[in-house]
Amino acid sequence: METLPEVPQQLEPLIRQIGPALYELGQGFREDMRVPARIVADSELLQQMVQDRSVPQLVNVTTLPGIQGFAIGMPDMHEGYGFPVGGVAGTALPDGVISPGGIGFDINCGVRLLATGLRHEDVKEVLPEVAHDLARSIPTGFGRHGRLSLAPEQMDRVLTEGVPYLVDVLGLGTPEDVDYLEARGCLDGADTAKVSVRAQGRGHDQLGTLGGGNHFLEVQRVERVLDSEAAPALGLFEGQLTVLIHTGSRGLGHQVCTDAVRTMDRALAREGIRLVDRQLACAPLSSAEGQDYFAAMCAAANFAWANRQVLTHRVREVFRRWFGDRSAAWPRIVYDVAHNIAKLEPHGGQRLCVHRKGATRAFGPGHPELPAAYHQVGQPVFIPGSMGTASFVLVGTEAAEAISLSSACHGAGRRLSRAASKRQVVGSELRAALNRQGIAVECPSNAELAEEAPLAYKDVDRVVDVVEAAGIARKVARLVPLAVLKG
Amino acid sequence: MESGTHQFEPHVSEVQLRISGTGLPELFEEAGYALAELMLGEAPLPQPSPESAVVRVALVAADTEALLVDWLNELIARSDLTKRVYTDLVVDELQERSLRAHIRGVSPPVLKTAVKAATFHGLELHEHDDGFTATVVLDV
Repeated sequence: METLPEVPQQLEPLIRQIGPALYELGQGFREDMRVPARIVADSELLQQMVQDRSVPQLVNVTTLPGIQGFAIGMPDMHEGYGFPVGGVAGTALPDGVISPGGIGFDINCGVRLLATGLRHEDVKEVLPEVAHDLARSIPTGFGRHGRLSLAPEQMDRVLTEGVPYLVDVLGLGTPEDVDYLEARGCLDGADTAKVSVRAQGRGHDQLGTLGGGNHFLEVQRVERVLDSEAAPALGLFEGQLTVLIHTGSRGLGHQVCTDAVRTMDRALAREGIRLVDRQLACAPLSSAEGQDYFAAMCAAANFAWANRQVLTHRVREVFRRWFGDRSAAWPRIVYDVAHNIAKLEPHGGQRLCVHRKGATRAFGPGHPELPAAYHQVGQPVFIPGSMGTASFVLVGTEAAEAISLSSACHGAGRRLSRAASKRQVVGSELRAALNRQGIAVECPSNAELAEEAPLAYKDVDRVVDVVEAAGIARKVARLVPLAVLKG
Repeated sequence: MESGTHQFEPHVSEVQLRISGTGLPELFEEAGYALAELMLGEAPLPQPSPESAVVRVALVAADTEALLVDWLNELIARSDLTKRVYTDLVVDELQERSLRAHIRGVSPPVLKTAVKAATFHGLELHEHDDGFTATVVLDV
């Protein structure tokens, strides 16, 4: 593993274990900490974390005005900007701050799992061709136009009404789809007047596009059911064909964040806020800047859910072409979760603005926001691994509320930079190796493939074991890739 | 002596860019060229055709560091909007908090790296005997 500059190795002895797979760096570590920093990890993951700047970044989060309880890093935590990736924090309403840097540029980047009634065994002969059809049908890469270009009034409705508008008015999905989306695919409070003309311009032709970077669409097989009660409740069985979609709000969300960081950076002095990292630019949620950003963020979040809905529609079109209209071929939405977002949620008797950056909401059984079918088992949580490894389906727990503000991790987490990964992996060889494993790869660039190589990521099995050991979610199923579509 | 140089430094999840320039205008231009190199994945950069449109850019920011972030974000946003990468950059005037420039771009068939934004994280801008250096983290 490469060594980064300013490695805070001295941190590790100061971090003490306070629970199963739970560590704490106390407020005494730095004078400006308002609360402790906590980390969900085991000793090996913790050692990986202190190799980069993620722990100091988590400490920076503890200095935010209005933060309550603790800032907490998930087991996939790694160095980001502002918040670390895998960082969670809640600030008290009304005057606690909201920080765009605690959400990220890709607002409501998230994951959606689709499950068919098809068995891999029955369709494996045609899967490479299905993957190729998906690659032709789904625009990838940076700024690639989707086939759905929005007129201004349509953009307005997507931003304010989210997925229900696409389903009810444009016919892109079914009413049942909406039941299985976090926040039913629409956050109240979106105001298009707070989304700049430039942001809307960047988004107008990007609905239904995957984007580049680590975004992907993966066709998978349920390799193993790990919870024989929860899996049937989620409609999952061994050998089943599933599709995982990972993307977000594209250029529209990026611009919303860019605009807000700029605005809040200028308002810091007026609010008397001093920051250790300017990317943590923030404003009290009660302030004009805070309210404006929240309204724009909600709109961008709605755009992201709509984006994943259009992609779902494209997947369904492809599956219909190959497998016909029979019900088993219909990719049903298991769930859709955001992992870059701020939500207003009650925790510990307080109403908090919960920032999750590279972290997934993980409500336990009985939570009123869950669809009726999942009331007994809890909210589905998806933890994708890297290409060639595995992804996991978990469900949230009631205990997660106290431990992690009802949050779990969002992936395996990077351990190597893109440059380091490219130095160690030859893209063409990786492509050939994945093909030998029976994984069809639809990615035009070998270099980009090398950047996202499995060795660039932490061990997803270990990460998921830690999540379960900490008690913030429990494992339901392990999924393995069959075809990967990347930007 | 080159008027500007750049290098990409290690960062686990993003791209950290270190730029040097003999003067601030040269540093800003170099930052833009580094962004274009990252997006296209190639150097030397392809030059726009003589008939490609010239775009005028004018920015005002809180300070020079913020101006550098704004400049890069301006290029990123314009790239997203126009599907062009700007490989010909001339900073006409640069003051502590304002910039005027003209830029021209190429339309690549594909982009190597999707850049979401320039960030304030770890942002540094220093003057020294030979000119200026800056560090910027880009979200990719």
